[in-house]
Amino acid sequence: MAEFVPKIVAFVCNWCSYAGADGAGGQKLTYPSSVKLIRVMCSGRVDPQTVMEAFREGADGVMVLGCHPGDCHYRSGNMKAQRRFKIFSMLLSQMGIENDRFLLDWVAAGEGKKFAEVANRMHEQVVRLGPLSIRGKVERVVAV
Amino acid sequence: MQEKKRSVGVFLCKCGTNIAGAVDMDALQKWAQERGDVAWVATHELLCAPAGKDFVKETVEKQPCDSVLIAACSPKMHEKTFRGVAGEKGYNPAHVNMVNIREQAAWVTPDTLEATDKARALLRAGLERAQRHEDLDSPTMECRTEAVVVGGGIAGIEAALMLADAGRKVTIIERDISLGGKVIQTEEVAPAMECAPCLLAPRLSEIRDHKNITVVTNAEVTDILGFLGNFTVKATRKARYITSACIGCEACFEVCPESVRSTFHLGMGDHKAVYTAFPGSVPAAAVIDREHCRHFTDGSCSACVEACPFGAINFEDTDELLEFNAGAVILATGGGDPDISSLYGGGDWKTNVLTMPQFERLAASNGPTGGEIVGADGTVPKSLAVIHCAGSLRPDGLSYCSGICCVNALKVGELFRKKNGEGMVVNIHGRLTLSGPSQEQFYRQQLHEGTVMVYTADPAKTTIEKAGGKLRVQPEGGEPIEVDMVVLSTGIDSSPTAVEVAGIAAVDLDDSGFFKPGHSLLQATTTTIDGIYAAGCCASPCDVSTAVTRGQAAAGDVLSRLVEGRKLELEMMTSFIDEELCAGCKMCLAVCPYKAISFDQEKAVSRVNEAICRGCGTCAATCPGGAAQARHYTNGQLSAELRGVLNG
Repeated sequence: MAEFVPKIVAFVCNWCSYAGADGAGGQKLTYPSSVKLIRVMCSGRVDPQTVMEAFREGADGVMVLGCHPGDCHYRSGNMKAQRRFKIFSMLLSQMGIENDRFLLDWVAAGEGKKFAEVANRMHEQVVRLGPLSIRGKVERVVAV
Repeated sequence: MQEKKRSVGVFLCKCGTNIAGAVDMDALQKWAQERGDVAWVATHELLCAPAGKDFVKETVEKQPCDSVLIAACSPKMHEKTFRGVAGEKGYNPAHVNMVNIREQAAWVTPDTLEATDKARALLRAGLERAQRHEDLDSPTMECRTEAVVVGGGIAGIEAALMLADAGRKVTIIERDISLGGKVIQTEEVAPAMECAPCLLAPRLSEIRDHKNITVVTNAEVTDILGFLGNFTVKATRKARYITSACIGCEACFEVCPESVRSTFHLGMGDHKAVYTAFPGSVPAAAVIDREHCRHFTDGSCSACVEACPFGAINFEDTDELLEFNAGAVILATGGGDPDISSLYGGGDWKTNVLTMPQFERLAASNGPTGGEIVGADGTVPKSLAVIHCAGSLRPDGLSYCSGICCVNALKVGELFRKKNGEGMVVNIHGRLTLSGPSQEQFYRQQLHEGTVMVYTADPAKTTIEKAGGKLRVQPEGGEPIEVDMVVLSTGIDSSPTAVEVAGIAAVDLDDSGFFKPGHSLLQATTTTIDGIYAAGCCASPCDVSTAVTRGQAAAGDVLSRLVEGRKLELEMMTSFIDEELCAGCKMCLAVCPYKAISFDQEKAVSRVNEAICRGCGTCAATCPGGAAQARHYTNGQLSAELRGVLNG
């Protein structure tokens, strides 16, 4: 059996975690190439539907990485994301998607090391879970 | 209906060996060239170098395409560069984008095959996205260059003068009846022992005579609406009952029969029901205290009308609503005196236990005793104790050190010796906060001149008892000290005014009630709303020179950003609302961090004010109907990018 290579999407805030990932790059900190970044201006821009879409389109894991509380470039977008995804996380398992497949975390622009750590951890977590098995089901949920 | 695919011109940057050393550039080029949506692929050694930029410019001119995609380093590094370069050849910024194959692939993926695969995925995402890009306008806006300064203390004064000297029209709105703030209430500023009134008097005269400055005193701000470049500030000027014909000659003071406790003297002295804060105030005009003036209380008196040589009394004066337009607002509302009523009775002249501000008034030549440090009964104290950190560093008081009170506490001894001759001065302190050469020198000088420093772990545990005619001061674990007067060295609290103004202007306060800066290091004098600044102690406790610096810094920022005849460049990637899709649920209004969205009652739809919107896209994520969209980060664009990243 071929080794499972997960697909992980990280929605990253332009001002903090995107720059954090740049920092990880600058410091040549390696992390699995399974983790692919999608830049948004603020973690507050990411809605659960987009995350579900990522699962539907083939992601085995999704991260939303914003600014630390109090550091949001847009005052409070990260807090809006936190509120939103707290509820979302609860619903996720009810939809048959393991909680470990989703992560909301804070990575500052200076935290290159943390970015690499989070990316590595998420990769390992998702590898342990294996491929997302309910893809078809998710599609139906989203379509409703 | 499927529209014709956009043709994308792709640049691949080798970044020397930075990318080419880790990613198979030939494979990437070959892969891209075979795609139907790619017009051409051009590889270069180093696109950001002058030769590289020329290469981009020539290539996009000779081989026009619908969209340019540059696979290189982080867009945070060079997106602006390439948008500028391609922009010269007529490309809209929305159609010049980067994918980051250096920081996100070459530098973090040791295996070349994997790195190449990842670079390909990122490029594919960029290409998918490019099909969905829509032109971005570069909106600009005419801006106002006038400024409103709220608060006429030293920070506001210096901000106003700097702006006015540069030719800007400035309005100072002050709550008190005259300018000068906290500094005018002090005699000397430590450690340089600069005479505060001497320092301020010429600045106040300049303000009075400045053709670009309008001073509105006895007034409160009621509304701050708008955004950088276009604010409307509303204020209520309270009736003064005295016209600007008044020169402050004080002829009316002598005939006024009513005395009132002076807030300027912190309750330690009286003024008449017609009064000025101090002689030589700006404005010079006196004010009538309506609550106490006998003309208003029982109609029995109009002595001032007869006494006034200028006919300046006007009992018919009414409150006035004023409105000002300005490009920027500088808040300089000052700090507050902490409430320490739970400590030692909180400072009462009659008990010879004074707070620091009360002591400052006693020592001030414009104070209730004309600058004599005496008890309320007129006795001259021969000895004095200062208790540091009064009400500071406590859960029930200020949780922080204000950073200025230790040097002030040392100043007490200096002033005391200067005015009352030799006498015992004891400073009871815990943590001593003195920094820099001048404060250290001042401290050593005070020790040399006789100030005794007594350390106690917690100054708040010091007790004060009456002992005959004296006060027995007992630091915890120390020897009792008998003195005639005690000064409680208090810190700087936030001001209740800041809470009011924060509500009015919708700016954020920090946990301690000071205006929160846009950025604590890079934009220390900004607030959380662009165009509204905070200077002086309303931003955080500070000394006089810092207050001045902050006022000047805020003014400098206003000068550099709002220039007559130059338009303001607004955010390109703002949100917008599709009126057809908007159901009027107003959820976007609730989540917008900038209050940039308003509701059109007539059409029952939300609307984004694009001059305020900063483009975070939180509304787009919240909108249940897809009506709110973030430009360049639309649902469609994110979907396209997702598909590109995942499907390959």
